[in-house]
Amino acid sequence: MSVLVEMLALPGRSFLNFLSYLGQLGRLVADLAHSIFRGRLRILQMAEQIVGIGYGSQAVVVVTGAFTGAVFTAQSYFKFKDFGIETTIGGIVSVSLCRELAPVLAGLMVTGRVGAAMAAEIGTMKVNEEIDALRVMGVHPVDYLVQPRFFAMMISMPLLIAESIVFGLAASALVSSLAFHIPFTWFWTHVVDHTNHTDLIFGMTKGFFFGILIVLISCHQGLTAANGAVGVGLGTTRAVVFSSLALLVVNFFLTMLLNYFFPLGTAL
Amino acid sequence: MPGTDSSVPFIRVTGLKKSFGAQKTLQGVDLDICHGETLVLIGPSGEGKSVLLKHIIGLLHPDEGRVELDGVNLCSMTERQLLIARQRMGYLFQNAALFGSLTVAENVAFPLKEAGLRDQKQIADRVHEALDLVELSAHKDKMPVNLSGGMRKRAGIARAIVTRPECILYDEPTAGLDPVVTDVIDHMIQRMQKRFRVTSVVITHDMSSVFRIADRVVMLKNGVVSFNGTPGELRASPEPEIQNFIAGRSGLIA
Ligand SMILES: Nc1ncnc2c1ncn2[C@@H]1O[C@H](COP(=O)(O)OP(=O)(O)O)[C@@H](O)[C@H]1O
Ligand SMILES: [Mg+2]
Repeated sequence: MSVLVEMLALPGRSFLNFLSYLGQLGRLVADLAHSIFRGRLRILQMAEQIVGIGYGSQAVVVVTGAFTGAVFTAQSYFKFKDFGIETTIGGIVSVSLCRELAPVLAGLMVTGRVGAAMAAEIGTMKVNEEIDALRVMGVHPVDYLVQPRFFAMMISMPLLIAESIVFGLAASALVSSLAFHIPFTWFWTHVVDHTNHTDLIFGMTKGFFFGILIVLISCHQGLTAANGAVGVGLGTTRAVVFSSLALLVVNFFLTMLLNYFFPLGTAL
Repeated sequence: MPGTDSSVPFIRVTGLKKSFGAQKTLQGVDLDICHGETLVLIGPSGEGKSVLLKHIIGLLHPDEGRVELDGVNLCSMTERQLLIARQRMGYLFQNAALFGSLTVAENVAFPLKEAGLRDQKQIADRVHEALDLVELSAHKDKMPVNLSGGMRKRAGIARAIVTRPECILYDEPTAGLDPVVTDVIDHMIQRMQKRFRVTSVVITHDMSSVFRIADRVVMLKNGVVSFNGTPGELRASPEPEIQNFIAGRSGLIA
């Protein structure tokens, strides 16, 4: 009997926990909105964060984009050559990179790098009472810590995604011409024919929303860290796992929504 | 008492109760703190002295009871309102809580910059002055990780006093300091009181400090105020528990 109750209670409790988690994120959003619209903007801290997040993440997204582009080119070629349409590779690669591959894979990589750093840094401040020290000195932790990171991610993420797309295409061009001897002009013609600037906007818009998601989830984990170093470790892990999962789920809905505004071209 | 200028106490704590899980830490604390007085809070470790201090500055919310600052209830304020109220106060954390990513001087300058001071020269002067008071000027460019516990404590004190607040709450300011520096800090607390009529609440385990600086002593025991009087009254108290605490006797027989 008690086992049965337990079995029924477990999903209920998890659901309540999930609701309470959403509630906490909602509070964070409210505090952040207050900080942005009623407080002052912290340009200096924002600039520091853009350097740390945006500038510092370039190597990661460049490598991610380039090798994604390269491997997708190779796989497409292996199949397409059976139908004798291998010269059209540029089209499918560029569309896939812009709309899905670069935003999702670079987004996940940035989650690992930036989300973890945010959660660990803020979490360490929390367990060292540095967050309370801010409050004592009349500074809202969301103003000082979350707001600059929020703007930095909003600005950096779309640019990082764009950079990832560019390097993905460059790698694809290299692989198709060097390994598969597809003339660059043919490759490029198909890229231009099949890709719109809206496809680039599609990917960058996704990056914008992924950035917001990563900031909110990771900063929340940092701000609620407890129990010393163990708690910081747990919060950091959660920040990466929750952000990555949320990114994948939100990506699907963004694809459905954005395709309404920027439909995929008919020419493929 | 020097500087008592109104009948309303500066800080009034009434019926304060706070539990952490099953542990009842504060069980109805009543306490008035007047303008300009130095109140020393003593009591065994883990009795909730730090918890009481955090309630006074609104870092913790009580389960029951209230904390009033000049007659205004802190417990009904939002965090944003509290941020403004706290600008009148300085707070030294038991672990100093220095920002690990900033140097000592940057830590001390932080509250000045956040209070809106822009003049770099003025900021540098104020920082220097505060660090001088705690004899830490020589180490102003070090990072907190490279300081000893006592130095960290003193940097925390400098950060708490640099904005010249009306009221300063010190959580064990002299723990881990040598006797000479302890004397320096005690003198500094007294000087701030005499010169700027600063209200101080000091948690300490150092009985010689108690008798040096206190206008009034409050002992926290079993979650309530078990003694509230002048240092003279404390010394004259017939309670064996208080006498044991003053003399540092455990009551155990060898
Ligand atoms: N945030 C907290 N969560 C749980 N327990 C706490 C918390 N803060 C303090 N306590 C507990 O409250 C009691 C009083 O702590 P404290 O005020 O630090 O004692 P002290 O009088 O030595 O300063 C301790 O038993 C401590 O474990
Ligand atoms: Mg304590």
